[in-house]
Order: sequence, then structure tokens, then C-alpha cells
Amino acid sequence: MTDLPGLAADMCLKCNICTAACPVAAVTDLFPGPKAVGPQEERFRHPRLPTADDSVAWCSGCGVCSRVCPHGVAVTEINVRAKAALAQQNGIGLRDRLISRPALLGRMGVRVAPLANAGLSNPLVRRIIEGILGVSRESPLPPFSSDTLRRRQADRIAAQPSDTVPATKLSVAYFHGCSTEYYEPRIGELAIAVLERLDCQVILPPQGCCGLPLQSNGLFDAARRYARSNIESLGPFASAGIPIVGTSTSCTLALKHEYRAILGLEGESVAGVAGATLDFFEFITLHRIAQLNRQHLRSTPLTVLYHPPCQLRGHGIGTPAMDVLRMIPDLEIVLSEAECCGIAGTYGLKREKATVAHAVGRPLFDQAHDVHPDSILSDSETCRWWIQNHTGLKSLHPLQLLAQAMNLE
Amino acid sequence: MTDLLIVGEGLCGLFAAVLASQHGADTTLVAQGRGGLSLSHGCIDILRDRASATTLRTLPQGHPYKLAGGENLDRALKKFLVITSGGGLAYRGGVEEILRLPTALGGVHATSFAPESLARASLGEIKSFTVGALEGFRDFSAELVRRNLARSGFPVPTVVSLPLLGDVPRRDLYAHDLALRFDDSEWRSELARAWKPRVGGLRLLGVPAVLGLWKHAEVIASLEDKLDLTLFEIPTLPPTLPGLRLERLLRRTALVSGVRLIEGSRALGLVDGRSGGERVAGVVVQAAGGPRTFPSDAVLLATGGTLHGGLIARQNGRILESVFDIPVQHSESRGEWTSERPLGAQPFASYGLRVNSEMRPVSDEGAPYFANLYAAGGIIGGSDRAVEGTRQGIDLLTAFRAVESALGVAL
Repeated sequence: MTDLPGLAADMCLKCNICTAACPVAAVTDLFPGPKAVGPQEERFRHPRLPTADDSVAWCSGCGVCSRVCPHGVAVTEINVRAKAALAQQNGIGLRDRLISRPALLGRMGVRVAPLANAGLSNPLVRRIIEGILGVSRESPLPPFSSDTLRRRQADRIAAQPSDTVPATKLSVAYFHGCSTEYYEPRIGELAIAVLERLDCQVILPPQGCCGLPLQSNGLFDAARRYARSNIESLGPFASAGIPIVGTSTSCTLALKHEYRAILGLEGESVAGVAGATLDFFEFITLHRIAQLNRQHLRSTPLTVLYHPPCQLRGHGIGTPAMDVLRMIPDLEIVLSEAECCGIAGTYGLKREKATVAHAVGRPLFDQAHDVHPDSILSDSETCRWWIQNHTGLKSLHPLQLLAQAMNLE
Repeated sequence: MTDLLIVGEGLCGLFAAVLASQHGADTTLVAQGRGGLSLSHGCIDILRDRASATTLRTLPQGHPYKLAGGENLDRALKKFLVITSGGGLAYRGGVEEILRLPTALGGVHATSFAPESLARASLGEIKSFTVGALEGFRDFSAELVRRNLARSGFPVPTVVSLPLLGDVPRRDLYAHDLALRFDDSEWRSELARAWKPRVGGLRLLGVPAVLGLWKHAEVIASLEDKLDLTLFEIPTLPPTLPGLRLERLLRRTALVSGVRLIEGSRALGLVDGRSGGERVAGVVVQAAGGPRTFPSDAVLLATGGTLHGGLIARQNGRILESVFDIPVQHSESRGEWTSERPLGAQPFASYGLRVNSEMRPVSDEGAPYFANLYAAGGIIGGSDRAVEGTRQGIDLLTAFRAVESALGVAL
């Protein structure tokens, strides 16, 4: 991945491999495709002049185009930057400023969880929210937890690497992200339980929102503030050789890649945190396979459909969850054939995008209909909530299945 | 640890991945982007002048067919046909056959195996026919096909203009866009009703290759039934559906048989220090967070040639293989890399690795660089695949032989 996406546009041969892979261009002619709005149009963009064409706004930022480009053009990165410039030019509305702040919403929502959840699950309220704000009433908004992960696991909080008790076990700094903190603390607890069973000592380093939703909505300055704050608090852990492990593949992608490639952060500690950050299953396959092999994994005679989130595919590490799930006896895993489920973070929440987002996810929903699995697995919370909403099937983080097989759930 | 790690996601890499994983090997495929299949016609060119024991013998020493054994072409192609028919894509042809098919420019493409929907237009087989122009689809000119085909020995077709349904699109449509519409059975049925009055009395109708992506066979069968004629396709500008269908089929088959797929990351070779440099240990992948090591028992380079990233010309004028920095024979003078006739044979096109009969890259003296490194497809030198018409034949044969050698089995 080049650090200079603008320059890399000159590497584009116009071969259209990205166009054929783009899940958004496939379902709407409002989007001219990643090549057209990216390397092609980049030549007509001037840093200080407004752009006349707003079709890049339809890009969902899923990242498929960069991944499939055979010439190393950072197509997504070009498009996400152009999209942000366009949003800033046209003005960013209240809706996008709200849905891009899961930490803020989470802190408020947790306090009034019963009331907030009753409201958000009420169709009339959702209709009003759609009318006023433009948040699609068809798109899922997850219920707030009444308690946060950090409150439940307060004894694990460590401000510094030196705060951790020196142990014979491998220390792991858990980046739980907003979804686990405010919506699904149970997933965080299971992640901790699995890691501890595999001889790790899990600590909770200081952390905030990864900033990815802000970045996707064009709020680069606010995203950079979160990013710098995370680098500052996680940097010492990375320097101390403590792996930073996340269960949310979008947050981990932000730490690994987006801070540098899109937000333009530079420096040793940024690269240090990027290098130390690992997806939960990536960590297990790299460092805990021996410990996992010693575990008795319970027979799990279920059929599951596994959808690797597009952000995970952007990690460039394959699908480590598959490698681990394949070790569970009697579990039948069907791999999703869709490039993207459609939600792409906050894209599918937007009233004007919801129809396109749903069409993007159609191949996955159809596959789910044909396979009719016991549950659908995905490592990203927004994908899970969206897929469950559109298929009516139970959607789980793959680690939940692993925890079950390890008798932890 | 994986048994076989393949670098490259073109026809060669995908075919090798399917072969290895279906044989039960733990297989990983790493690719910096998808290969060129979706830019290709989806046919299997084996030898422009018809592959036979005689013509294969006349190839120069060091040609990939000679090294991999032309007699193995039948076995490799048999595997290919089993895989493609298993995925619902019918191919027609034979190793020693030549099908002459019309191109979108009204030229002739000589090939040995073609998807059924293309093979139906083979010269000699085809009598009178019509070419359909799709209204509003700018990537295909039926008139151009008609005019030029006359010079190519084909019967001169008639041309019919066919409407597409729906509002005027807000951007140019690609063949891929249309194919997805054809996949939709309701849209297709309505389209057939609109076409019916225009195609009355026609027996054989050629259209640009847009007849479905995922449901191609169903699309053709249902349209032929509703229109009461035979349809064939002519490949278009990229994204080119016959190639794209093959790519999707191979990737899906690979994933279903358990291939670990890592897309979007560059791979750099890792030499096993403990072996005294005699073995490779895997690759280091340039992942999003930084370098990640993927250890492997064996590595297969399916990275393609000059155009595809398998070879890199350095500032100092040396051409190297791009993953393990293996030197490649080439002319010292840059001026001699290309010929002055742009459409003629190009010296650079033959640059690439030297391999032995087990598909191991070897030095000028014939010694393998590494005991467990293999190469297949366009990264192997010794042939100008475009001029010879051997591109896909070399991909399939050398991938087949490399997987046999790497796994130590007969497939």
C-alpha cells in the first residue's frame, strides 16, 4: 500500500478489475465505479477548488477496489479522501455528526439504557428519527447495554504497561472498541475468557473510539483527534512488546492502516501501534495455536455461514477465524460469497443510501436463505446487526462459537 | 504452516490452488490484486497453429511446453474441464483442435477450448447469422463486426438493433452491469418480450457477451426458449464476461475446497536460513498493519510476466523475478528489450525464469535455486505467449505440473 495515493493514481491502467469487483457499482448506476471516481477523476481535482461531481459520495468505503487492484493503486484511499473533501465542501449535517460518534452516543445511551432502547425499538420513534435526521428506519440500531465492559472488568484497567503485574503469562492489551464497551460487553468478556484460557493475561489499556466512523463521514479533524489520543495511550504498550488485540475488525483496521493511509498520521509510534495490533483470531493463529491444540473443543454439530467483513479482508491476512473454527469438531462452515454485506459502517444507516446498501447485501441474504444456517458469523458488529436485521437469522461473533466449544459460554 | 503457498491470482494461480486443495493440501493463495482473467476472453489458447505431437516438437528448446511435457496437456485440460463443468460452465474444444471465433472487432480468434456460448460461432460450423446491437451499450458495435468479418472468411451477418429495458442509465454501462441485469429473471423475461418482434425468423443470433454472470447457463437457456433461436456471445472490452465467469468459478471453487485467500497484499520471498539457503521458508506479506510471515512447505510463483508484476526491471537495468529476486536472462541493452514493430514479437515477452521439468526455477547451469520453490505460467520465460497463442495452455499445463511436483503426487 503506497503512502501517496494521489501519485499512485498514475499507476492505474484503467483495466476495470476494480469496477467489476465493486459491490456498489453492481447495484446502482448512480455510482460510476471506483476507477471512474478514483484514479480517473483524481486528475480533475484540485486541493483548493470545489469539485463539480458528487458521485463519489456513493462509495461505501468497503475497500474491495484497493484489494483487487493488481497495480497497487490505493483506490479506496483516494475515494475516501475525495469523499471527505466533498462532504466538507457541501457541509456535514447533524445526522452524520451524530452517527459517527458511537462513543458519545454510547456514554449517553448506557446511562438511560432501558428508556433509550424502548425508544429506539419503537417504530414510531424510528419514523420520527428518519424524518428529522435521515437515519433509515429499516436499518438496525443496536440496544445499549446497561453496563460497560470497563465497569464490569475494572480490575483489568491498566494506564501504563508498568501497571500490569509481571506474569509468566503473555500480556495482551485488549482493544474492545465502542461496540463491546457500550452495546455488547458480553462479547468482550468472552474474548477475555478465551484469551485467559489460552494462557494470556488480558489488560484493558486506555482507549477511545478508533475514529473510523468519523473518518467515513468526512470528519477528518475529529477522527485525527481520536487517532492521536489512541496512539498516545496505546503507543507505550506497543513499545513494551504487548500485542494489542481487537475483536472488532474495523477498529483494528483503523489502528493498522487507516491512521496512516487515510488520516495521514506519521511517526514511529503510529507504525509501532499498527505493527502491534492484531485481530483476535490473527493473534490466536500466530501465538496461541499450541495452547488451543491442548484444549478439548466440544462437538458443535451446527451449520454456520461465515461472512468475513470487508474491513477484515482489508487487513491482508486472510480469514484467521476460519482457521480456528475449522478446529471445532462437527461444525460445518459455509463461506459467504458476497464481497460486502452492505452496511459498510454507517453507510447503510443513511436514509438515502439504505436501498443501495440493502441491494449490496442481497447476494449474502440470498445465500443465507439458500443455506439456512443455524447462525451467521461475522467479526464486525455493524455487519452482524445488519445481517441479523435483514435475514432474521441469529448473527454471532465467531469468538462466541469458539467460547461455546471451549465450554466458556 | 501451509503445505503450498501460491503467489498470484490469475488463471495459473487459481487453477493451481484448486488442484492442490482438492487433492487435500493445505493451500494458501496470496495476491497483490486479482489477475487478468476478467480482461480475457475466457478461452484456452493452446497453440495458434494447432497443438499436435509434431507442432509441439518444433518449439524451441526451453519452451515451457517442452519442459512441462506437451504430452501432459491432455491430463491438465481434463482437470480443467472437470473443474469448470463442476462449476456449471461448459467448455467445448480439444487440445488438438482449433476453433475460429469472431471477435468484437470482426477479427478471428483461434483457440482450442471456448466456453460453449462462444464456441457456437466457430467458423466452418456457422452458416447464416445475425449480430445484435444493444441500444445504448457503447462497448460493442455490431456494424463493426459485420463489416470486418466479411474479410475474415465468415459468412456476412445481418445486423439487428435490440432495445434494453429501463430508464436511460445515468452512466455508461459496462458489460458486467448488463450481465447482472440478465441474471434477474423478471428483467430478462420482459426483455425477451421486447426482443421477440425484432428477432422473428432468426435462427442464430450473436450478442456481446453479457448473458449473465452467476446464472449464465440459465440465462441462455431461458432466452433461447423464449426467443426460439440459438444464441452465441462475442467477448467485449473489460470487464469481459467469459473471463470473469471463469475467474469467479475458480475463486469460488478454491474457497469451497478450503483455500486460504489473501488478496491485496504484496508477497516477498522468505529464504530458510537454517537450510543454508537451499530452501524457501514461505513469504512475508505486506499486510495492512505491517509485514506478516506466512510459513510454507513449498512456494509456487504464479505471478505472471512483464505485464503482470512477476518481473521487475531495476534502475540498474537488471530484470529480476519480483518475489525472490531471482535473476532472469535478458539482453544487456534496454534498446533490445523491445522490437521496433509494436505488434510484432517482442523480446521482453520471452523473458522469465528458467525452470526444469519439475517446474523449479534453475540457474543457467540447470541447478535449482531452492529445493521447494516452483514456478508456473507467465513468469516462466522462453515463449512469446501472445504471438504463439499459448497463454492459457502454458498457464494450465505448468500449474498442473508444478502442483504435482510440489505435492509429490500424480494428479
